[in-house]
Amino acid sequence: MITTLNGILLGKEAQIKLALCCLFANGHLLIEDQPGMGKTLVSHALARVLGLSFNRIQFTSDMLPSDVLGISIFNKDENNFHFVEGPVFSQLVLADEINRATPKSQSALLEAMEEHQVTIDGETRALPSPFFVIATQNPESQTGTFPLPESQLDRFLMRIHLGYPDPDAERELLMGGDRRPQLNSLGSMVDASWLESIWHAVEKVKVTEPLVDYVQRLVQYTRRESDFATGISPRGALGLLKAARAWALIHERSHVVPEDVQAVLPSVVEHRLRSTADHSGHGGGALTQRMLARVDVIG
Amino acid sequence: MSVSGIEIQIPRNALALLMVAQAMVVGPHSQQLSPWIMGVCLICGLWRWMVYQGRWDFPRRWLKGSLVVASVIAVALSGTNTFSLEMATSLLILAFALKLVEMKSVRDAYLVIYLSYFIIATEFLFSQSIGMAAYELLAAVTVTAAMVGMNQMHTKVRPMASFKLASALIFQTLPLVLVLFLFFPRIAPLWSIPLPGGAKTGISDTVTPGDIAKLSRSEEIAFRVEFKSKIPPTSQLYWRGLVYSHFNEGAWTQARRLHKGAEEGVIWGGEVAKIMSQGSSQRRQPQRYSRGAPVSYEVLLEPTQSKWLFGLALPVAAHNQETQFGQNDIGLTRDFRLLSRKPVGALLRYQVDSYPEVPMDLTLPRWLKERETRLPVNDNPRMRAYARQQFAKSNGIESFAQNILLDIRKGQYRYTLSPPTLPRKNSIDNFWFDTQAGFCSHYAGAFVYMMRAAGIPARMVGGYQGGEFNPRGKYFVVRQMDAHAWAEIWVSGRGWVRYDPTSAVAPERIEHGLDAALSSEDLSILSAFTKARISNFAGLADVIYVIDSIGHNWNLWVVGYDPDVQAKYLSQLIGDISPGKVAIVLLVGASLSMGLVVIALFWRRRKNRMLPVLKIFIRFSKGVKRFGFVRESSESPAQFIARIDPSQHALVAQLDHLLYNSSKSSSIELNLLRKRLRKLQVAVALGLIKEYETA
Repeated sequence: MITTLNGILLGKEAQIKLALCCLFANGHLLIEDQPGMGKTLVSHALARVLGLSFNRIQFTSDMLPSDVLGISIFNKDENNFHFVEGPVFSQLVLADEINRATPKSQSALLEAMEEHQVTIDGETRALPSPFFVIATQNPESQTGTFPLPESQLDRFLMRIHLGYPDPDAERELLMGGDRRPQLNSLGSMVDASWLESIWHAVEKVKVTEPLVDYVQRLVQYTRRESDFATGISPRGALGLLKAARAWALIHERSHVVPEDVQAVLPSVVEHRLRSTADHSGHGGGALTQRMLARVDVIG
Repeated sequence: MSVSGIEIQIPRNALALLMVAQAMVVGPHSQQLSPWIMGVCLICGLWRWMVYQGRWDFPRRWLKGSLVVASVIAVALSGTNTFSLEMATSLLILAFALKLVEMKSVRDAYLVIYLSYFIIATEFLFSQSIGMAAYELLAAVTVTAAMVGMNQMHTKVRPMASFKLASALIFQTLPLVLVLFLFFPRIAPLWSIPLPGGAKTGISDTVTPGDIAKLSRSEEIAFRVEFKSKIPPTSQLYWRGLVYSHFNEGAWTQARRLHKGAEEGVIWGGEVAKIMSQGSSQRRQPQRYSRGAPVSYEVLLEPTQSKWLFGLALPVAAHNQETQFGQNDIGLTRDFRLLSRKPVGALLRYQVDSYPEVPMDLTLPRWLKERETRLPVNDNPRMRAYARQQFAKSNGIESFAQNILLDIRKGQYRYTLSPPTLPRKNSIDNFWFDTQAGFCSHYAGAFVYMMRAAGIPARMVGGYQGGEFNPRGKYFVVRQMDAHAWAEIWVSGRGWVRYDPTSAVAPERIEHGLDAALSSEDLSILSAFTKARISNFAGLADVIYVIDSIGHNWNLWVVGYDPDVQAKYLSQLIGDISPGKVAIVLLVGASLSMGLVVIALFWRRRKNRMLPVLKIFIRFSKGVKRFGFVRESSESPAQFIARIDPSQHALVAQLDHLLYNSSKSSSIELNLLRKRLRKLQVAVALGLIKEYETA
């Protein structure tokens, strides 16, 4: 599967693995990068390969929550309101350029992401299962963006950067032309029930006490050190462990080793951390690297 | 109310807990105190509760004053002895209860808490049983919990948390308690406490059989006996306690001194043994009789508040060999009973050697003979005539006595616990010829009366008969329901001879204990507990035996740990006892016990114990550090090994498995790991592996 996906997005094997890992851990994914790096392409490809129903929401600054969730429309013939589902009612939702929308519309996704349900007109509606949100965003420094608040960031299990392709891959890309048409030829390799069995398998991946100790030390470090504006939340710690489990599973292991934690750590915690010295919200990457280097694996 | 006023108010949650604690500490006192005091306590509690709810107000000053005066007067009028323990306790409890209705500030509450501890201590003046000790421990926890509650934040009301903390606090004091219990000097009180007066149960010094319509049978324990020698048959276990020589108006009482010349001395302590061995006292022990083998036993007498002790005939050398107690405090009376110098206010242990074959009073002085044959004139004429007539018919004293027993056996006499009442005048006539139903003292009394009517010296003896053997603890339990009365007559050449007329009417009473002799009607007046005990349901009986032997051991080891025993152990420990040495022992003991608590607390707060596999690995890392291989903190053990020697696949896999894939590692695996790591370490040390990659 990774190979197939790699065929679409050249030279990005690590990022694709992380994206899959995130979905296997039943978490939402945030992809952040410059325009034109293939963010949308990745999401499309993932939806296709996993055989999920797919909706795309292009966020703009004049969007309203009902554009995401849906709206009740008056039916003249039947003389009543009936609900028209918004794009959020789909197994995989691509929230493209999420940080271009106003906070009001951004937060329309909040309940959907955490509770897997939406409440509209006082009525709670369940979302399909599985339910993923893959959001893409441009770097916050660009014009016309509203930064996601911490509360919303915390709901994404992982944030990944795609980054520029390496020269070889780029050459191949340039030689081979646009990959977009290939997307349509991608058939679904698995289906939703397979994904559910993966979730169960992830739950069963073994975690021993020395490893939990390591995760705890990592989390404690972020809460104790003064460089960190905020520590990692319990949800973050849980997510870290879950992602590490999924990572171990991808590497065909039935137990988690510290390397798994280290592999997923930057993606899982970078967007949750903020340096006290930097209010713009950057600096998570450097902090994560320091955390990795300083916290002892075995205590 | 001012701000400061609010600050010193009692926290509401603490108040509720405090009231529970108060109820707990006062509760056991309800056994000793008059019901009206308990009533006052309840009313005060109710009042404070209504104040707590905000429905009533605190009493006014004049009302409080008059309540105090009224209670003092009421206690004075309630008939307890002035300056007795009951009276002091009554006053204490009353003041404690009244304090409830004026308890407003934190200071008041602390006063009540300290008083509660004091009241817990006073309860031990009345009862020292293991059950009471357990209850008071719980009460102490509750009082402490109330004190913890006083110091809780107003916003954080958690009664269970204060209970938990209080239990922990009390639990942590236990080692210190043990040290103090073992070594703290038991100082004799500066003034003697007036103990609860009067014998409440069991034997009394006046027996009036006719007055009792229903003999209440209590299963309360009188004493426990451990035999050191061979145990005599139950039918021979006559525990003598009192001798009733005087009869008047249907009542038997202890002998009075007849005239000045009468020899009435009590021989105290060691003297008895001396007299026994020297044979210097003609009247007590003529040498020509063989003494026979003694029956040795130890008695653990429950408090009786009287001076009589119990022993088999003829008790000699009654003292506690361990503690030397009894050398001067236990005496032998003229009628061969054991006597304590002071009323028995707490559990008393004493050891007795009895010589059942030694006769009592081979020769009878005239004054004694006069006393033991004396009868009031103009009483029981029918009996008198009958006795004389019977005596004339029989030949000799002993055949006369046998005839009477035969009379009882053959006649219409029956044994019952609920006999008809008899008039004071001519009571024995009435019993012998008319009602013909009674219990032990009826028969013993009539027997003695008949003997005396015929001019034979005779007297009634009171005490206990038999007992129940506890197979668990290998000791006898004698209960109040084993109380018994029998007769002794003086036969020339044999001294005082025991006759038990009850054995003629109800032989089962002597052979198998009271229960066997009872009719179904009598059985119905016994308590449910007794019924359970005597039923043949083995499991339940066994449980009761075990419970009783726990109580027995408590008596032996805790209550029985008196100043003498303490002195003995202390002198074994430190030689001569001096205040300085005791102080050192106390100091060392206290610091040791508190140190124990500190260590235990420290141990619990210590970091979780390191996994053995981690220990092994860390030792290895330290070992190879010297040779330039330093593990980066972000490096996992497996990565580290792989860096040192990439060919160690088995070791890497094993380390990975033990650390991250198995919840428990066996010692075999650990040994293998240790071996592999040591091998690698040696290789590193020998320079076989060069540091080829720096981190």
